[in-house]
Amino acid sequence: MIADLLDVVRRRVSGGGSDALWRREERTAIAFESGRLKSAGTTEEAGVNLRVVQGGRVGVAGTTAADAATGDLLDRALASAALGESLDLTFPPPSPLPPIATYFASAANASLDSLIDVGEELVARLRRDGCQLNVAVEREVSETEIANTAGAAGRYQATGVAVGVDITRIAGDDVLMVYDQYVGADLPGAADLDALVRSVATRLDLALTVVEPPEGALPVIFSPAGLSAILLPLEQALSGKAVLQGVSPLGEKLGSRVFDERFSLTDDPLAAGRAGSRPCDDEAVPSRTLPLVEKGVVRAFVYDLETGARAGTASTGHGRRGVFGKPRIAYSNFVVGMDGKRKTDDGIPGGGLAAGIHDGLIVEDLIGVGQGNVIAGGFSHPVALAYRVERGAITGRVKDAAVAGNVYELLKQIGGFGNDGRWLGTRFAPSLLLEGVSVARR
Amino acid sequence: MKDRLRDALKSSRADYTEVRVERTWSSAVAFRGRRLEAATASEDVGGFVRALHKGCGWGVASFTSLDRLPAMVTRAGELSRAVRLDEPIRLAEVAPREADAVLDLDGDVRGVPLAEKKRLLEAYNGAMLAVGDRVVDTQASYQDEVSEVWYANSEGTLIYQLRPEVVLSGTAIARRDGVIEKGLESLGYRKGWNAAQGREAGFRTVAERAVALLDAPRVRGGTYPVVLDPELGGVFIHEAFGHLSEADFVYENPQAREMMTLGRRFGKPVLNVGDNGAAAGLRGTLPFDDEGTPTQDTVLIKDGTLVGRLHSRETAARLGEAPTGNARAISFRHAPIVRMTNTYIAAGRDGGTFTDLIKDIPLGVYACGAFGGQTLLENFSFTAAYGYMIRDGRVAELVKDVVLAGNLFQTLDRIERVAADFQWNQMGGGCGKGGQFPLPVTEGAPHVRIEEALVGGDVPA
Repeated sequence: MIADLLDVVRRRVSGGGSDALWRREERTAIAFESGRLKSAGTTEEAGVNLRVVQGGRVGVAGTTAADAATGDLLDRALASAALGESLDLTFPPPSPLPPIATYFASAANASLDSLIDVGEELVARLRRDGCQLNVAVEREVSETEIANTAGAAGRYQATGVAVGVDITRIAGDDVLMVYDQYVGADLPGAADLDALVRSVATRLDLALTVVEPPEGALPVIFSPAGLSAILLPLEQALSGKAVLQGVSPLGEKLGSRVFDERFSLTDDPLAAGRAGSRPCDDEAVPSRTLPLVEKGVVRAFVYDLETGARAGTASTGHGRRGVFGKPRIAYSNFVVGMDGKRKTDDGIPGGGLAAGIHDGLIVEDLIGVGQGNVIAGGFSHPVALAYRVERGAITGRVKDAAVAGNVYELLKQIGGFGNDGRWLGTRFAPSLLLEGVSVARR
Repeated sequence: MKDRLRDALKSSRADYTEVRVERTWSSAVAFRGRRLEAATASEDVGGFVRALHKGCGWGVASFTSLDRLPAMVTRAGELSRAVRLDEPIRLAEVAPREADAVLDLDGDVRGVPLAEKKRLLEAYNGAMLAVGDRVVDTQASYQDEVSEVWYANSEGTLIYQLRPEVVLSGTAIARRDGVIEKGLESLGYRKGWNAAQGREAGFRTVAERAVALLDAPRVRGGTYPVVLDPELGGVFIHEAFGHLSEADFVYENPQAREMMTLGRRFGKPVLNVGDNGAAAGLRGTLPFDDEGTPTQDTVLIKDGTLVGRLHSRETAARLGEAPTGNARAISFRHAPIVRMTNTYIAAGRDGGTFTDLIKDIPLGVYACGAFGGQTLLENFSFTAAYGYMIRDGRVAELVKDVVLAGNLFQTLDRIERVAADFQWNQMGGGCGKGGQFPLPVTEGAPHVRIEEALVGGDVPA
């Protein structure tokens, strides 16, 4: 498919080069609403994204139309290139790809009934009076082909499974939502489902008691899920694009210690069985594990081919492309280090950090993450799900409270790393204890 | 195409089957700083089938290869049969109809060369950059599309719709040393090339504001009387109330239904709220929704009392109410779910002007524009793009980091005055729900005064 397309490009375009990505995805999804199976669905999708360089200018075009002529797609890519900015874009040469298992036959061959069984087991184990329970199970099988005119090529199949559980409990005007998920390349094992059930049940039970929020500059534990507000500014600031545009607060800090010396961040496309793992990125650059922050020192920014070319540095293998538009920078699996802690998760929020807290919060979910001026590091969010910690123990859920702070200030000195490191989609993190977070009541 | 849909439906053995096929031509231009990011034209084609056997659940299938249509009708039927239900799914009655709904293309974007679109956006991006050296970065984008949508169901409905859309957006980043501020322009129309013309002033204004915010103080956190401008008022009613009025939130949940009982008082008599998918020429406007139900103006809150909600055919049947034409899907990749269209706070009947609204506020906050908003059911958080202090009944200094947070029920009840200066906010972007984003919607409101709301998240020292 891709090879034929690139042959047509070679015949019509001289010089610059070209690359293309073809991807086909098949998804099967079932949904339980209010504890009963409500729908089953399937999706088949295929498309191609073509990039050409002509006269030193870059253009892209994409289509899902199976009846689209190759010539027409190329015409659109060339029309795009005619307007494009000049760029010395070099496509990567052929090179061996690292071995990484992305395809699990057990997931690919799982029957609809076996997916329904997973959902039914969760419904049976989590059904509660007065709670609305929704469960979704989704399985994806995909095939990806990437190639360029410099001879690099990648082709792989991948599987992905997502199981999401959410419980809504409404009592009067009090609305409580507890959510968790399993995401992996293979079907969840018994231990994965146990962990999911334990996580949802424990957090629901602890939330049934509502207590007054504390107030002031306090120790706050951000759980692996609650860390989104803390990590989002870093994800943005470590993007080579933000650095190139001069808007990253970390842009001048390469090699400098900016964070607590126990803090580390890694992008790891080679993590076994993870949803973001792949042998190469969508621009045929081989995958490798990339330390972004080591012992508090900024070590690398992530680049795709274009941003790398503009910045005068190599792609780090972080090009992601869909059918439409040009490749953009994206992380694969984003990993927060555990400072050597061993994982001994008992399902209790806080990862063992609550014991040392006299008065504070555990934040599981915040409202409005991603709004505002994220990259600058300041945040201010009402809590969606948070627990109060008093004298080392969780005393109940707090409502009507907000947390605020600056990520760069808070991460200079980390109060502790939890023993509850876990995957949430393509992110791995333990709980982090941050000191002096502003907690306001309302 | 209509014959292909009819043939596909004939082959279905399910009790109810619907088919949607879409073909969308789109183009996009984006600038970052002075550099063109990309100028591209795309074509997206695909179909969706949903089938229902008696006593079973929904079977759904989506696909990009239209040759697969007959096979996918069969597959959706099989999937439906795999889902056994004790309580059957029923659909509220909607009269079958055949219609061609061709919206005015207002300058067909498909006839405009990509180079022209690039020139237009370059001018708007240039208007932001021309504001000065403090503007260190910009992002500007132009997107247009024309989609053809065919919808048919086994009850005899067969509808063809032609829909245009054009969206412009601009972000200006201003920086001085460590201080970074932004200004955001967003315009969206269910129209064509003509609607995209003459928009420089808006882009220039947001860049000037980003620069002005560099010198503006942060708003001091606390509780104030707050006046929302029409843009933020619209975002507020969409996020904080609109989602609760979507019947799929309540139809399976007795406690939620109790919370949203029709007749419950939600606000003072000045508060009137609705959703109007039939309003002329707005982004959320559609003659028919994605179940073939005609759209309408649905009143949700009348004189402070909850009187209606938004429905699909399934939720309407379940609650014994009438369908409202609010079943929408962002594309053939998705099943229709209950969504808003054009959601509004109606103008106050004797509401007066903005000046009337603020004249007796000794100290308050005038919150303007929206960087974003999120609701988690009864709690919400909104980030205004900028704000002003209100001092002694007048608009005073510019302030930044105006974040409004609160409880929905309390805040709706504290809306005490609604001005007469209603306007629709014709913005880009869209609404997200159930993995479907961005759905084109519009919001509208006049200036709205809240007796008291929490602003900012700072702990008072």
